[in-house]
Amino acid sequence: MQPAPVQLSVRGVQKSFHGKAGEVRVLDDLSFEIFDRDFVSIIGPSGCGKTTIFNIIAGLVEADTGALHFHGAEVESLRGRVGYMMQKDLLFPWRTVLGNVLLGLETRGVDRVEAEGKAREYLKNFGLAGFENAYPRTLSGGMRQRVALIRTLIMDPDILLLDEPFSALDYQTRLYLEGVLKEAVETYHKTVILVTHDIDEAVALSKRVVVLSGRPARVKVVHDIDIATTSPIAARSDSRFSGYFHTLCAELDIQTERVA
Amino acid sequence: MTLTLPGTGPMPKRRARATRRFSLDTTLGRAALQALAVVAFFSLWEIGVRMGWISAFLVGSPSGIFADGFKMIASGELLADTWFTLFEAILGFVIGTIVGSLLGLALWYSVFVARLVEPFIVAINSVPKIALAPIVVLWFGTGLVSKVALSVSLTAIVALIAAYQAAKDADVDLQSLLISMGADKHQVFFKAVAPSTLPSIIATFRINIGFGLVGAVVGEFISSQRGLGHLIYTASSLYDLNTVWVGLFTLMIMGFALYYVIDLIERTSLPWKQASTTHQVQV
Repeated sequence: MQPAPVQLSVRGVQKSFHGKAGEVRVLDDLSFEIFDRDFVSIIGPSGCGKTTIFNIIAGLVEADTGALHFHGAEVESLRGRVGYMMQKDLLFPWRTVLGNVLLGLETRGVDRVEAEGKAREYLKNFGLAGFENAYPRTLSGGMRQRVALIRTLIMDPDILLLDEPFSALDYQTRLYLEGVLKEAVETYHKTVILVTHDIDEAVALSKRVVVLSGRPARVKVVHDIDIATTSPIAARSDSRFSGYFHTLCAELDIQTERVA
Repeated sequence: MTLTLPGTGPMPKRRARATRRFSLDTTLGRAALQALAVVAFFSLWEIGVRMGWISAFLVGSPSGIFADGFKMIASGELLADTWFTLFEAILGFVIGTIVGSLLGLALWYSVFVARLVEPFIVAINSVPKIALAPIVVLWFGTGLVSKVALSVSLTAIVALIAAYQAAKDADVDLQSLLISMGADKHQVFFKAVAPSTLPSIIATFRINIGFGLVGAVVGEFISSQRGLGHLIYTASSLYDLNTVWVGLFTLMIMGFALYYVIDLIERTSLPWKQASTTHQVQV
């Protein structure tokens, strides 16, 4: 029951890397679809190649076989059209907060005055007014990740690729930023693909969860998450939350019932 | 007998501890110790010469050095030589560092070219550049150009290797992020690679300002009519040790001053870097 049209479809993607121990197949015939304004979490055992999927979509790595279709048309990659956010905030230490937020617009060649006005407005909306001229090293981890989120959103990307963006933060900050993210996604009508190994986070945020098998990764199962709240904290107290949580744990072969 | 109010008992004790003794580990204390060491050194030297324990002919004497120094300052000779050497050193340092850094950074653009020229860079680096001095004088004459050329040969290779290494080590994730934003190679270079090499390049200033001075002085040794190197060389061939020392101490002061200028540049040019030199872990 998904009325939204397909935005991005990943079809039959395979990828191997050549390491010291010979060829390692990371992705094995991986296919899934992302709808318009979707919020999809990808979970799977660690080291199963979740980041590789993102690198392929972002055009940083080339797939061996398979194709990406964007709104039905085959594309090489979504380079320049995605907002990539990683676990590390990747703020440029020599740039101020404002300079960091401007990075993407500069790359695109947007008029300086216009870009700066937009950047200041975003910073204000995210409660970072007054920090425009601060260097990243003076900010807390949560603030740095918020700057990274603004830098991602301001470019108005078609799809947000979030690679465990909050996993380095403490739990309170993470909950807070999940709320900020969810709200921003609603406000700016964004599509999000979130890679995480935090099942709790996946259930609280997503509309759908894609479960991957261990390496080489295939799609094991896709779960629709039917929790009608937009707040990640409220979602955690939804009656169906723990049901989804345990189902996904079972999919990942995590023993939740037996205690040794 | 004194009247002690309740609660005031421990006060005098605490105050006594604070002023119990003069700590040597303060700026003033260290300066006093350093000054003491310098005065002691020169006093011993002077006494040794006066008493005939050491030969004034071979080591000179502090009093003679001061007398010579004042004479040379008064005649303007010392200042002229100092300026000349300083100018050569700074010019060599600036040209060498800029050219070297730019070449090193440019190597980032092509892994192919970088791998191709790497053994040549290592080869050039393994030659003691001072050994080039006679040829450099032959090629560039006995004037300013040969000294600057020698300084450049010493400093450029250091800057090149440091800049190239720093460019290679630039954070790949920052570059990936830019690429995912749609940046082209030039944008990646100017926005991610070049700025991240600045600390390394500035760190070479400290080494290179010394090399600049070495190039200038050695060039003057080989063949020159001016400069502190020339002054030292001619004075030593005349066994005029006091004048040699005047030249050496002037070079020392010059190096000292340049070091602090570089230090200032280092501290003010990278406001985004945390000052890590002020605090040390106490063991």
